[in-house]
Amino acid sequence: MSNKKVAVIGSGPIRIGQGIEFDYCSVHCVRAIRAMGNEAIIINNNPETVSTDFDISDRLYFEPLALEDVLNVLDREKPDGVVVQFGGQTAINLARSLHDAGWPILGSSPDSIDLAEDRDRFERVLAELDIPKPAGRAVTSAQAAVVVADEIGYPVLVRPSYVLGGRAMEIIYDRVELENYMAYVVDASPDAPILVDKYILGKEAEVDVISDGVDCLLPGIMEHIERAGIHSGDSMAVYPPQTLSTKVIDQIVDTAIRIARRLEVRGLMNIQFVIDRATDTAMVLEVNPRGSRTVPYLSKITGIPMVQVATRVMMGTTLKEQGYSTGLHPSAGIIAVKAPVFSFQKLALVDIGLGPEMKSTGEIMGVDVEYPLALYKALVASGIGVPKGGSLLITIADADKVECVPIVREFASLGFRIYATAGTAAFLHGQGIAAQTVKKLHEGDGNIVDLIKNQQVDLLINTLSSDKRIEREGARIRRASVEAGVPCLTSLDTARALLVALISRKTTSEFALHGVSEYRS
Amino acid sequence: MRDVASNEHSRKSYMPRDTSLKSVLVLGSGPIIIGQAAEFDYAGSQACQALREEGLQVILVNSNPATIMTDADMADRTYIEPLNVEFAARVIEKERPDGLLATLGGQTGLNLATQLAEAGILEKYGVRLLGTPLEAIRKAEDREEFRNLMKQIGEPVPESWIVTDESQLSDPANAGIWPLIVRPAYTLGGTGGGIAYNRDELYEIAHRGLALSMRRQVMIERYLKGWKEIEYEVMRDANDTAITVCNMENFDPMGVHTGDSIVTAPSQTLTDREYQMLRSASLKIIRSLGIEGGCNVQLSLDPKSFRYYIIEVNPRVSRSSALASKATGYPIARVAAKIAIGMRLDEIENAVTRKTLACFEPALDYCVVKIPRWPFDKFVGADRRITTQMKATGEVMAIDRTFEGALMKAIRSLENGIIGLSNKTAHLLSDIEIEEALRVPADERLWAITEAFRRGMAVEEVHALSDIDPWFLNKLRHLVDIEMRLRSNGTALVRLASDEKSEDLAASHPLAVKLLREAKLAGFPDVTLGSISGVPELKLRSLRNRLGIVPVYKQVDTCSAEFEAATPYFYSCYDLEDER
Repeated sequence: MSNKKVAVIGSGPIRIGQGIEFDYCSVHCVRAIRAMGNEAIIINNNPETVSTDFDISDRLYFEPLALEDVLNVLDREKPDGVVVQFGGQTAINLARSLHDAGWPILGSSPDSIDLAEDRDRFERVLAELDIPKPAGRAVTSAQAAVVVADEIGYPVLVRPSYVLGGRAMEIIYDRVELENYMAYVVDASPDAPILVDKYILGKEAEVDVISDGVDCLLPGIMEHIERAGIHSGDSMAVYPPQTLSTKVIDQIVDTAIRIARRLEVRGLMNIQFVIDRATDTAMVLEVNPRGSRTVPYLSKITGIPMVQVATRVMMGTTLKEQGYSTGLHPSAGIIAVKAPVFSFQKLALVDIGLGPEMKSTGEIMGVDVEYPLALYKALVASGIGVPKGGSLLITIADADKVECVPIVREFASLGFRIYATAGTAAFLHGQGIAAQTVKKLHEGDGNIVDLIKNQQVDLLINTLSSDKRIEREGARIRRASVEAGVPCLTSLDTARALLVALISRKTTSEFALHGVSEYRS
Repeated sequence: MRDVASNEHSRKSYMPRDTSLKSVLVLGSGPIIIGQAAEFDYAGSQACQALREEGLQVILVNSNPATIMTDADMADRTYIEPLNVEFAARVIEKERPDGLLATLGGQTGLNLATQLAEAGILEKYGVRLLGTPLEAIRKAEDREEFRNLMKQIGEPVPESWIVTDESQLSDPANAGIWPLIVRPAYTLGGTGGGIAYNRDELYEIAHRGLALSMRRQVMIERYLKGWKEIEYEVMRDANDTAITVCNMENFDPMGVHTGDSIVTAPSQTLTDREYQMLRSASLKIIRSLGIEGGCNVQLSLDPKSFRYYIIEVNPRVSRSSALASKATGYPIARVAAKIAIGMRLDEIENAVTRKTLACFEPALDYCVVKIPRWPFDKFVGADRRITTQMKATGEVMAIDRTFEGALMKAIRSLENGIIGLSNKTAHLLSDIEIEEALRVPADERLWAITEAFRRGMAVEEVHALSDIDPWFLNKLRHLVDIEMRLRSNGTALVRLASDEKSEDLAASHPLAVKLLREAKLAGFPDVTLGSISGVPELKLRSLRNRLGIVPVYKQVDTCSAEFEAATPYFYSCYDLEDER
């Protein structure tokens, strides 16, 4: 397709869950359209971005991304097609209405988008393709939620369908909590059904797929470092996967291709998986029928200009014609670790504990030829920092006590002084780890929060408890760490990653230093 | 308003004037955090392109690959590495750049450049800092040096104290000027700052601020309650040519971080005398600091007299300069990069018109409104008050012929569930709660104001509580007036929309058509008109099409259409003439 006029819908203001990565995607889409000899129009309202720079598109409209304003621009420009895949949820949400108003949507059709986003329809697709997913159903009432949860067993992961950045998503451990949640959420989104799924303990992984309806290219898989339950935007992730079995990788690739074909995807799609530890099986968590947060990362790591390739597909050039074939692109000699960055210092009263609801404002990446070194760079760049020694304060939920022992032991052997409250300290003593006891919050002066405030702690590991009373104290401890600028980890997986990085720093002499494209050559 | 006349004869060929420069290291700003968003990708991308246009080799370091500036075609070599001294030094050691450009990577880039200089890395490898000299950066960022400089050049600064230790708090605490504002030095978005109304609050906020400041330094100053906050974006080259790109006015008076404030460009409530007075002060400041590139000057103006104070200066490209660039069409980052390699404002082409030069001050024949996008839809339990510590993650900008139109567009650009003059909660508040919501700035104060007008509060009362300029309040009241007339004429609109027969709708329904026209001119979206009248959005749309009440589009071209623009951009308005 050339000599055509194409309108690209942007992604609006930067917010949690919809950040700069969608501006990156919009700009690349516009470039691809223009490079093919077409005219590209962009509609966006964010003054901070590259997409609203005057020379990116043929014509820029500084307008709201509400239906009325977008239709007005389309009425004036009369484009041959509209692209909604790269402006995050903002653009994809307009697909149906723009289509109904008579504008051709390029790439995946509005029905294909709906098939992926409507939980009921999507579940039928998975059943039809015999693709495993965590047990669960969509419900519209509190009673139905309780019935489903009883049937599949607690803990359950609950969230409204059609959400951005995991809004109002929670892990629920019992019936009372579930009823509270339903009262709160139904109020938040009355028309949308609520999804109640079995919470699967295991790793998460995600993959982006470019499909032309026949061929399906998977540039790369990213494996999350934190286990399921932490939003994908708040998890660290590594390319290529470090611990996934060949069986699981093959299964991810096969599943992604079958879903892309069944949904008749034209352009980009992202699939999130959880790998059930018990059966070593990849289960589908969700599908986003659009460019995702990981697209710029994978594009730079693999050298495949994913948005440009997808845009050419949407404009009618097949993957084969572009020199790509079906399947997982072979991994390059580069290890990349993506890590979230938070802005908690700016936001008083916000709990920094991580969960299914996204809280990070941005991300960075560390690259090297070895995993521990890439991890080290990512931790440094993310601002968590890698404390080389000093004091480690741990406050661990009962459920995590056994798991934390080898981690704490390792920190101690690296020379960290270990602090813990009485119960945990006694437990650690029992495991042969020396730990100094600190007073709990209600035990008066010199307590755990004072210790943090006075900056006598270099690192805090605090895991979230399902006990609400303990949690209230936990939230105050975490907040104190933010005010005092003490790094705080709320997942043992992150703590383990930090250890890997710390040890690498002690044992390895040299980091790699290459321009990002040289890693591949 | 033009300082420098166009001088075609003095244009040189587009070689960098500083020919000893072959390669330049550009520092990015790293991850998106509150106070540092996509604006530095925009600035960095422009800078890389501007440098390469001049034949320079560009080496880039940024830890954030989700950026256009880290694309392969932006630099000759791109490093995705942490932005700290250790890793930056390794890149410098390997690449041996001639120059370092640090004023486009936000506070992160600037701090890193300062640290590299202090660690002796720049000297060791013979890397020159380009653009604004470190000395000027320090003079602008160190509160005490800045105050001294302002005193020297006769520019007023508010009463203030520099505190590096809690024992020094007794001076401000005993000065008897309450409230006081506490700002930590060398932090992003005023992290750790706040307003203290008494001794206890002063100690608490200062304690936190000291802990968060890179240099353990906080500035305590008089809180200019009710004063206007005005910004000027100024550019200067090494030849001492200086211009103002535009000025901006905060809707929220002093006390709200400019990143958390609704902002208009250009200023809306200043008299010409006030405008010129603050413009002259801004130009005097950029010259006295010796800045080579862009800088942002924040001033505070007493609405009741011609008194003003200089609040602060950002000696670099900033969020405000991104807004000013988009509001005017003047590419500040691009021009700043060219200045950094020795070019002069009268040699740099205006890329929008391709006819004028960068020494032309842009002219605006429209109104721009920016509204911050806060994360409180995610953080429901957060403290939603807006103060001197920025909380917004992003922002939207809208352009129209009128303030009302631009404001209404900006509101629905936010995508926070609010599309017009009502949020979900203001109508549930008691009168006392409304008064409190007017008095204490928070993210949804705008909708407390509209609700106050609905309840019959006078502009003077709202002004007395909020200190917001009556000009802005009158505009909001105008919008509420239209809304109330729409409500009382809802059935007339329904009759109009369901009239399929009339040949001449305007003649059969004169009042309803006139009201519809007025509402569209003021920026009311069809969705809002629909929810008031009960007519579905798309039906209203086809009705408007029948009536010919459709928007036309105007150009942003930096020069109020004085010259033809090569790469303009467009905004809609319900006006007559369409600019293709």
